[in-house]
Amino acid sequence: MNVLSLFNAMPGAVAQGLIWGIMAIGVYITYKVLDVADLSVDGTMCTGGAVCIVMLSNGHSMWLSLLVATIAGMIAGLVTGIFHTAMGIPAILSGILTQLGLYSINLKIMGKANIPINNQKYNLMVSLLNVRDVPFYKNTILIVALCMVILIACLYWFFGTELGCSLRATGCNENMSRAQGINTDLNKVLGLMLSNAIVAFSSALLAQYQGFADINMGRGAIVIGLAAVIIGGVVFSKIFHNFALKLLSVGIGAVIYYVVLQIVIWLGFDTDLLKLLSALVVAIFLSLPYLKKRYFTKASNVAAKGGK
Amino acid sequence: MLVIKNIYKTFNVGTINEKTALEDVSLTLEDGDFVTVIGGNGAGKSTLLNAIAGTWLVDSGSIAIDGIDVTKTPEFKRAKYLGRVFQDPMLGTAANMQIDENLALAARRGKFRGLRSGISQAERNFYKEHLKTLDLGLEDRLSSKVGLLSGGQRQALTLLMASLEKPKLLLLDEHTAALDPKTAAKILAKTDEIVEKDHLTTLMITHNMKDAIHHGNRLIMMDGGHIILDIKGEEKKKLTVEDLLAKFAIASGGELDNDRMILSK
Amino acid sequence: MKKKLAVLLAAVMCLSLAACGGSGKAEGNKVYNVGICQLVEHVALDAATKGFEDALKEKLGDNVKFDEQNAQGDSATAATIVNQFVAANTDLILANATAPLQAAAAGTTTIPVLGTSITDYASALDIDNWNGTTGRNISGTSDLAPLKDQAAMLNELFPDSVNVGVLYCSAEANSQYQADVIKAELEALGKTVTFFTFVDTNDVQTVCQNAADNSDVIYVPTDNAVASNTAIIDGVCRPAGVPVIAGEEGICTGCGVATLSISYYDLGYTTGLMAYEVLVNGADVSTMEVKYAPNVTKEYNKEICEALNITVPADYKAIGE
Repeated sequence: MNVLSLFNAMPGAVAQGLIWGIMAIGVYITYKVLDVADLSVDGTMCTGGAVCIVMLSNGHSMWLSLLVATIAGMIAGLVTGIFHTAMGIPAILSGILTQLGLYSINLKIMGKANIPINNQKYNLMVSLLNVRDVPFYKNTILIVALCMVILIACLYWFFGTELGCSLRATGCNENMSRAQGINTDLNKVLGLMLSNAIVAFSSALLAQYQGFADINMGRGAIVIGLAAVIIGGVVFSKIFHNFALKLLSVGIGAVIYYVVLQIVIWLGFDTDLLKLLSALVVAIFLSLPYLKKRYFTKASNVAAKGGK
Repeated sequence: MLVIKNIYKTFNVGTINEKTALEDVSLTLEDGDFVTVIGGNGAGKSTLLNAIAGTWLVDSGSIAIDGIDVTKTPEFKRAKYLGRVFQDPMLGTAANMQIDENLALAARRGKFRGLRSGISQAERNFYKEHLKTLDLGLEDRLSSKVGLLSGGQRQALTLLMASLEKPKLLLLDEHTAALDPKTAAKILAKTDEIVEKDHLTTLMITHNMKDAIHHGNRLIMMDGGHIILDIKGEEKKKLTVEDLLAKFAIASGGELDNDRMILSK
Repeated sequence: MKKKLAVLLAAVMCLSLAACGGSGKAEGNKVYNVGICQLVEHVALDAATKGFEDALKEKLGDNVKFDEQNAQGDSATAATIVNQFVAANTDLILANATAPLQAAAAGTTTIPVLGTSITDYASALDIDNWNGTTGRNISGTSDLAPLKDQAAMLNELFPDSVNVGVLYCSAEANSQYQADVIKAELEALGKTVTFFTFVDTNDVQTVCQNAADNSDVIYVPTDNAVASNTAIIDGVCRPAGVPVIAGEEGICTGCGVATLSISYYDLGYTTGLMAYEVLVNGADVSTMEVKYAPNVTKEYNKEICEALNITVPADYKAIGE
């Protein structure tokens, strides 16, 4: 048990956490802003990486590959949105259907179950190799952190626009939104597209980081995303009130998740139990507000009902 | 301003819960009419308002607002003609958003929402002035979350939002029912003031017969999905609660059952 | 309290950035630290890990320490585990299966990496012009079944067969490659080859039924999804009277009539010997050729052969005898 090795492992854990943090910000948009639990991200978390690696392998530029990967995610979100709004399928089921469909699509995109990207052959934007012993401007942590900051800035701006405000209103109160002339169906579709685009972007980074895209890489992504949203919320809710800071707390939530995971692995914990552990952590944090209300509040008045 | 012709609405068709909520209802409102609507539970009052607002589409008949046929227009598109305040104070505002943001949402009703800023400083000042007229101290709490406001404050805010962009028709669905009597009176006075000032055509549902008599220039009573009474002009001005009860007995062919009506005098 | 936590967290992040520079070199200790990253718990992979450890223990006794980690099928966890090994500056990494190998390739260019249970290094590592070595810090053993010999075996047992169905899971990293190779080999022997693929185990029965209806013989490659569904395949193929030739022993035990089998334990053991060369004798990983299974045995499944009235030549060994 060498503490130094744990210390040395931190850059990798932070880098991976930041990449998942971007993904978690995508989840935040559906789960917190739009008030929809979108399970399609389990599929999108592979689609982005698959598209990016296939395009890079075919000699396309990094930026084009990232762009197309992001658009692919957007289309996945569009499909979930159409299932949900135009076809009236409940949101959870719509996401599951998209996720299931994406499994086949991801296989077709990659042509097989697993495709590698050789970090010796391609100039990758991020890589597990570039978390230590590289000039700082090539450092994956810095690059991903920068991506996240830019993303947060863009989202902060967007949710302050007329359209962004109407999106937030849709998630907050659909009746009121329609009464104020907001096309709630359209907004839900837009929100799902935006969210899945971000997830696919994160997936493209993750595939480069780990050096391959794999058909199973998105499995359980929604739980990691939710864990990050919840951990970030619990840790920072008292000090971060601004929307941009809330997004940042989600990103940091994912970093905490991966730091903890790294420690667990360092401790030699039975890794078979990791998924169970993740599920339990999320379940506990998800139920906290409810339990608090149920067992620690004396009387509930009607007016308090509105605040979610 | 509003022309409703022979509308029908039945819920849960083909199930044991099938219920005809509106049956051959026709109603015409002149520009500037302030109509109060009374009737017992299940009489079809809220259903009528929802039919106008487009919460769902009617089974048959037609609805036109200011000469525009909106029978098949979805709710969010109709919203540009309508200002609405709901019975539940939670329904009319976005609790997780700030007071000024809620007003800005209302100010953009019926307009294209693009990537321009969702709210400007000039708007904030404008809202501040408007909020002052409510006399609730909200003008100093522009950036507070609406979820922190009391029911009365939220209804006042919703009323302001409904009238910020002058609607062709103001729909008030028992908007004081969930408030304590004092706050309710205040909100009603405010309602009169806004309707008066902007000369708004208004439909107001109420449980309170006195309110129905003392406000507006026309009164309709509903029962079993029909409009059974329509009192306007001089007759409405002289109307008393006793008159109303007597008229109800004649119109419905039965004694007014206060338990069923749950009306307060 | 929360604020303190936030500050602490920020400190961790800063420190971790600072740690990027440091590389804590372990002193020339006699004890070798070997990190083992296995993709998932699985009979074959477990055997390979065991063989690897046994070989190194025989050679080094107590002078080797293993850090055995399992990614439980999650490829992203493989990256986390590799990160841990690289951070601990282990002397060697054993990557057991494709995803760990790829994560290790992405994670280090200096620590020697040996793979095992990997079918095709060129396609797993995106290497053009494959010449037997990777040319970088990676080598290992391949579990590539002797496909040409398996094709010959199929023809030997069923010379009159025309239509051969190849049944596999298209969501498995290695199966596609095997399917392509066996197809070419079988076509060279004059067979008509059709692929029958499923993407997850829920579809096995339907796809298998289709394969049985349209084939004289079915070939299944070394495929994890098939390996865990042999009972279903047997339940479909035996009543249909369609024999199955399997890519490895485990699958053959469940649903095949015969196989040319390799031993994953031997494969792991061979990898362990390679590790010894690297650790103790300073062999250069980048020039070590990828090795293949040392022994191949012709085996048959007595029960199924009897049920289908198939008699195998004398040089076949019954599984489990």
